[in-house]
Amino acid sequence: MESAPRQAASAIEPKLLARVAKGDQQAFGQLYDQSSTLLFTLAYRILNDRDEAAELLQDVYLEVWRKIAKYDVGRGSPIAWLVTLTRSRAIDRLRSRASRGQHVVADSFEHPLVSVTPDVSPNPYEAREDTEMRQLMAKAILDLPLPQQQAIEMAFYQGLTHTEIAAKLNQPLGTVKTRIKLAMSKLRASLHETLPQGHQL
Amino acid sequence: MTHEELEEAVPLYAIGALERSERQAIEAHLLSGCAACHAALKDYQTVASLLPFGLTPATPPNTLKAKILMAPASTASQAEPEQPGPRSSLEPGEWMNHLFPPITPARSLPFRFAMGFAAAVILFGGGYLAWMNYTRTAQRSGEIQQLQATVQQETSRVASLQSELRQREQTLDGLKSDLDQRTTEVAELRDQLLQREAELDDAHTQLTQHDSSLQRLARQSEEFAALFKNPASKVVSLSGSDMAKSAGAFLLFDPATKKAWLYAFNLPALPSGKVYQLWAIDDKPVSAGVFGLDAGQKARMLIKNMGEFPRMKKFAVTVEPDGGRPEPTGAIYLIGQI
Repeated sequence: MESAPRQAASAIEPKLLARVAKGDQQAFGQLYDQSSTLLFTLAYRILNDRDEAAELLQDVYLEVWRKIAKYDVGRGSPIAWLVTLTRSRAIDRLRSRASRGQHVVADSFEHPLVSVTPDVSPNPYEAREDTEMRQLMAKAILDLPLPQQQAIEMAFYQGLTHTEIAAKLNQPLGTVKTRIKLAMSKLRASLHETLPQGHQL
Repeated sequence: MTHEELEEAVPLYAIGALERSERQAIEAHLLSGCAACHAALKDYQTVASLLPFGLTPATPPNTLKAKILMAPASTASQAEPEQPGPRSSLEPGEWMNHLFPPITPARSLPFRFAMGFAAAVILFGGGYLAWMNYTRTAQRSGEIQQLQATVQQETSRVASLQSELRQREQTLDGLKSDLDQRTTEVAELRDQLLQREAELDDAHTQLTQHDSSLQRLARQSEEFAALFKNPASKVVSLSGSDMAKSAGAFLLFDPATKKAWLYAFNLPALPSGKVYQLWAIDDKPVSAGVFGLDAGQKARMLIKNMGEFPRMKKFAVTVEPDGGRPEPTGAIYLIGQI
């Protein structure tokens, strides 16, 4: 499909976004190539439906195209911006689906945060940096106690608030909050240790 | 929420686990410019955005890229940028805008829609922030006005209480001065009463004295009358010496009872510390009593035991020092014999 080696999603340059902001369609295409797999993976994980995930991605990229002028490198890394936007839109969809009484993604460990045996093997269509990042993240998450993984999963991928999580798990609110805080803090620490150069937290 | 609570809520905010009200509180805090929370949020937001790297990759459909790259071109002709769907969750641009000031929009955007949209976004964003600030400011000034009104109410209440208190104090002062006046009056009345009682006591004493002198006089009158009526009574008259030529006296005497009655008149007034003394003279003079003068320079004296009268030849009255003397020492003023 593409002769040039794939650029990593984790290494999208702010310059590329600046080019897109200037209306550079080629740059927009490159942005898609670098980010679409990660964003589709995320959308599919949240919505559990390939077609709906693809639909969502169309909306997201259109919004990116429109909002790109707002992006500033000082606000965070390009991929952080894209992931946050995609996650928000996917959760919106999930909620509007729930309010229409449609199927909501099954809870928790039917769709764990990482695969039980995480697929950390190199993907021919994946950039080397992304493979490394995937391995780092998988390890960091697997190092968390299961209840903490579960809390993170329910908040990030199911879009549940701590109150909702506490109610679903029948756990005290304080316990759930602590689990999330501890998990986030540990992830932050392990990423600080292991992130490659250029991916400062 | 305290700063500590807000700081602790940052990781939950980053992963999207906060309730709406908590989210608003932390956004307001971030807008206030807390550098520590900004830095923490940037870290945690990065952590959250890297989470999908932990998932097994899913490849998007091959046709998706073409559709997506077509979309900007097809929307380029739209005059109004289309607003994205529901906004129930936090806009990713929002938290980023909150953290960092919006950049100047690129002027060289060739797409009119992008220009228009950027402007709209800026307007919307600016308007949103302005609206947020306005709402907050309005809310704050509303609260301040409410507080000021409450303070004014309380102040006027305090003022009215103070004036009431002053009135009470005045009333109390009035009552106190009334009471003082009454107390003074009562004291004066008591003094007057005591004075009257003293006067009454005096009057009573005087009356008693008067009574006793009247009784004495009455007794003397009775004695005199008894002596005078008694046929056995003898009378001796005394005449004035050279010292008191106009003076005179007579003596009534009852030998049976040995009582005698002296009546003297026109005797000269006595110098102070002196009395008249009556002497009965046999071989030698014997005192029969001392007497003074009444207002009309007269003297009356009852002698209860005159002794053996027949042996008495002479009677005389001399002036002697107060209380009298056993023997005459002064000049003779009256003299008489049987």
